Amino acid sequence: MKTLLNFLAAVGRQMFLLLAGVGRMALFSCSALTHIVRPPFYRREIALALLQIGWLSLPVVGLTAIFTGGALALQIYSGGARFNAEAVVPQIVAIGIVRELGPVLVGLMIAARVTSSIAAEIATMKVTEQIDALTTLSTHPMKYLVAPKVLAAFLTIPILVAIGDVIGIFGGFSVSVQSLGFNPSTYLHNTVGFLEPRDIISSLAKGAVFGVIAAMMGCYYGMNSGRGAQGVGQATKSSVQAAAVLVLAANFILTGLFFTL
Amino acid sequence: MVIIGGSGTGKSVLLKCILGLVPPDGGTITLDGADASGGDRDAFLKRFGMLFQGGALFDSIPVWQNVAFRLLRGSLKKSKDEARAIAIEKLRRVGLAPSQAELYPAELSGGMQKRVGLARAIASDPEIIFFDEPTTGLDPIMSGVINKLIREIVTEMGATAMTITHDMNSARAIADNAAMLHNGKIQWSGSISEMERSDDPYLEQFIHGSPDGPIETVR
Repeated sequence: MKTLLNFLAAVGRQMFLLLAGVGRMALFSCSALTHIVRPPFYRREIALALLQIGWLSLPVVGLTAIFTGGALALQIYSGGARFNAEAVVPQIVAIGIVRELGPVLVGLMIAARVTSSIAAEIATMKVTEQIDALTTLSTHPMKYLVAPKVLAAFLTIPILVAIGDVIGIFGGFSVSVQSLGFNPSTYLHNTVGFLEPRDIISSLAKGAVFGVIAAMMGCYYGMNSGRGAQGVGQATKSSVQAAAVLVLAANFILTGLFFTL
Repeated sequence: MVIIGGSGTGKSVLLKCILGLVPPDGGTITLDGADASGGDRDAFLKRFGMLFQGGALFDSIPVWQNVAFRLLRGSLKKSKDEARAIAIEKLRRVGLAPSQAELYPAELSGGMQKRVGLARAIASDPEIIFFDEPTTGLDPIMSGVINKLIREIVTEMGATAMTITHDMNSARAIADNAAMLHNGKIQWSGSISEMERSDDPYLEQFIHGSPDGPIETVR
């Protein structure tokens, strides 16, 4: 009986810790969002974040999308051949990339590239007292460090997703035309004709949500990092884990939501 | 005023509590008789400058923008040219050339970073300046240079200075008065000349760096 109670107590403690963590994260996110809309706005920091989060992520997003699109075309072709449905490759590649793989893969790549970089940068600033220095210089760290990054991610990730969608479809197109014998104009016609506006809207909406999650996790774990090199490493690792899991969880919820619309 | 004391006695925490970086466990902080916990934080912080132990310079911006950080934004905002001119003048005052203004902090030596930190602390001509371990990590000659600079600048500006240090040479060079913290309380306070003559066993052990005395050496 005592062992069972100890076990339940341990589970309860972990649950409380988890809930406290979720609460802190929620309060942090609310604070960050209010700083985005309240002046002053640090235009230089916003421009820098747009460049670092958006523009500099283009190569990794492009490469991920093109290889995924190509592989998807091959998989659908070989799977479809089992019941004589090879002709659906353009439609499935389009819908698979736009509704699911495009936003999710961009979200995960951003979690790997941007979240880790934000967390490491802010955690290092914390460890080296740069965050304290900001405060003593009458500059709110949430406004100067967090708000520009979250805003930039919210604005640029949907654009990255749109670019990733196009490149992913192009990857499928290239493989289908070069290796699987599809007619280029028929392929494009089937792709464009099959996609609906709500597919594209859902893709971009997912991108915006994933962008906010990725940037917010980097900022949260960076601002709450422990001391020393280990603290920075731990913050970086935890931020990427949290961002990746939350991106996938948000994807499931958003997909369900778009199904009901 | 210099605050001395062993590691972990709360010297840096004291400064951070005053600046609102760490919430105090208890007590009140007053400035000119007014409670510092309420009121306009921006107006309160404008009166302070701080030199951090490791410099705490912002890596992503050049030296002059670090120095002029406060002058480029917020209520003390000036035009970019004016802020830059002030930054270069403050850098000159701490012994750095205008050509170094364009460098990034990572391109500077430890001593130069301290000077930039000092220039940033005085950039907006604050009334009160905090120095957290200003000579940590510097060789004796560079420590002497920084001590001399601090003393000169504080006297020139007529500012109130509060310095945290373990370095007794630094304490003697910078301060008129000293206070010793031990176990989170002021163990001793007085002028620098009184400090040398004091028979307080804690102070005596600390300033002579003796392993024997009332302060536990294993902490």
